[in-house]
Amino acid sequence: MGYLGLARRNAWRKPLRTALLMVCVAIAFLIYGLTASFQHGSQGAAGASEDLLGVMSAAGRGQSLPMAYLPRLEAAPGVAAVAWMARLRGFAGAESNVIAVSAADPERLAAVNGPELGLAPGLMAALTGARDRVLVGHALAEAQGWAPGQRITVTAFDTPTAAGSRDWQFEIAGIFEGAGPSTDTYFVIARYDYVNALRARGSDSVDAFVVRPQEGVSSGELARSIDALFANSAAPTRTQTEKQFLEAFLRQFADVGLIINLVVGADFVTLLMIVINTLVLAVRERRFEIGVLKTLGFSKRRILALVLAETLFIFAVGGGIGLALAKGATLLAGASLGLVLAPLILGKAIALIVSLGAVSGLIPAISAIRSPVITALRTR
Amino acid sequence: MTEPATDAPYIALKAVQKGFKIGAEAVPIFTALDLTIPRGDFVAIMGPSGSGKSTLLNMLAGIDSPDGGELRIGSARLDRMGEGARSSWRAHSMGIVFQFYNLLPMLTAAENVELPLLLKPLAARDRRARVEKVLDLVGLSGRGGQYPALMSGGEQQRVGIARAIVSDPALLLCDEPTGDLDRKSAGGVLEMLRFLNRKLGKTIVMVTHDPRAASCARRTLHLDKGQFLEERRAA
Ligand SMILES: Nc1ncnc2c1ncn2[C@@H]1O[C@H](COP(=O)(O)OP(=O)(O)O)[C@@H](O)[C@H]1O
Ligand SMILES: [Mg+2]
Repeated sequence: MGYLGLARRNAWRKPLRTALLMVCVAIAFLIYGLTASFQHGSQGAAGASEDLLGVMSAAGRGQSLPMAYLPRLEAAPGVAAVAWMARLRGFAGAESNVIAVSAADPERLAAVNGPELGLAPGLMAALTGARDRVLVGHALAEAQGWAPGQRITVTAFDTPTAAGSRDWQFEIAGIFEGAGPSTDTYFVIARYDYVNALRARGSDSVDAFVVRPQEGVSSGELARSIDALFANSAAPTRTQTEKQFLEAFLRQFADVGLIINLVVGADFVTLLMIVINTLVLAVRERRFEIGVLKTLGFSKRRILALVLAETLFIFAVGGGIGLALAKGATLLAGASLGLVLAPLILGKAIALIVSLGAVSGLIPAISAIRSPVITALRTR
Repeated sequence: MTEPATDAPYIALKAVQKGFKIGAEAVPIFTALDLTIPRGDFVAIMGPSGSGKSTLLNMLAGIDSPDGGELRIGSARLDRMGEGARSSWRAHSMGIVFQFYNLLPMLTAAENVELPLLLKPLAARDRRARVEKVLDLVGLSGRGGQYPALMSGGEQQRVGIARAIVSDPALLLCDEPTGDLDRKSAGGVLEMLRFLNRKLGKTIVMVTHDPRAASCARRTLHLDKGQFLEERRAA
């Protein structure tokens, strides 16, 4: 039995208690890992651009803007490029399997949004072959099991074709990867000319223009001047950065998201309070034994190290299991849920594990090493 | 190691003061206690309950400190040492045996005995060899893997003695080592202590209520009201 062996024997003197504590820590860090991954992932706004501007109808989501705005936007000072897109929301197969299609002009899209979405020139070339060709985001393709060359049918919720059908046929021309793991790639890019020609209503309208400002132009100021441009027209605009837009969009679910965050946060805190409290009591129970060790000549520092080794051991094993489970979950369900367990989250979690393990050891250890040996020995 | 190397006594207390505060009230235990013990001696300390026997032993063990006066053991001035220095002095210079054994329940007998050796720069193999040797010495060879809860009181106390001597200290302190034992087990433990004193030259200070235990010592001191009353030398 070495020195660490002594700490291990202490930890396992009540195996059930120690195992349950480890389970608690594991669950707490599974929760932590998943929530943080969710916020960091594409469902959050972390991957959104702060440069690109989205121009939408001030009347709200679902209201469109006329294509006729394009020349005025292009002529506005500070604008480098303009793209546009029309949204088509539908499902593939089951109604719950929601698919979002963004119809855009391929060249314009590549010019404005190319780097963010990972739209390589080869991909754009593939799209030009036929009008019903589409590009599918990596996350969506993986979740649906779609491959290039495949023909798919998306049944629109509220955009019928001129022929009166709600079924839209597309051919997959390629897969786009997105710039990084937290870029949202859970959608389809279709050709605007195809969708616009075929749809029964709303011809020559767009849901949004996407504006790339010129180098050195403040996106905030440009947004204000664009909105001023259309302030007195039939359809005033509301211009935001993509990040602002996504954040505002996510805030629509705030009531749900906030509640989830609160519940999850409360769970995390509660579990850790239970663990810390139990460890504090477990070490307090041992005042007498600590007194015996001190009598034998164990210094304060050694006793502190002994207690810390034990609590850190419990937190390290529990936290390690929790984070491993969280990692497994993001790998299994990451694509469709947009979960990314980034190294930064992992680092924060590890720092948290170490400091919590230290705190739950320090609280009882400090009071134990402070009390004089004879006091400790008289506690029995 | 049967004779002291110099004339200076091994243990010397001069005008030691010690008291406790109970609430706001200061309760003096010793006002001016003097005591000298030569190297290789075996001293029994007797006296009524509450006369300060354990307090004296705790000061000799360096787990309590005098309020005033001088307390020297060997070359160590315990009254002048801080907590850290006394801690490392304890690890190297004395072994202690308690009335209720004070073994750690989650460790086996051998692991309990090994505890003081964790404070020494010894390899695991050397530690194990020394543990085997002392367990053998106290008559518990082959029982090292057992947990204290499964041992009799006498056996537990022999584990306690093994733990006290495993790092080979010159001084052995015992606080009522037979107080919790039946006659037969007590006899075994006393035999053990006598052996450690006579054959291995350990200096032993033992607090006891038991006249039979005291008769194993070379001399007996009676403590009452903070003073030693008389001295009786064993034959
Ligand atoms: N830590 C302490 N705090 C307060 N009083 C104490 C403490 N330790 C001992 N005493 C008191 O000091 C006196 C002597 O105690 P002790 O040395 O344990 O006596 P003995 O071992 O001879 O029975 C007793 O009255 C006891 O109540
Ligand atoms: Mg006593």
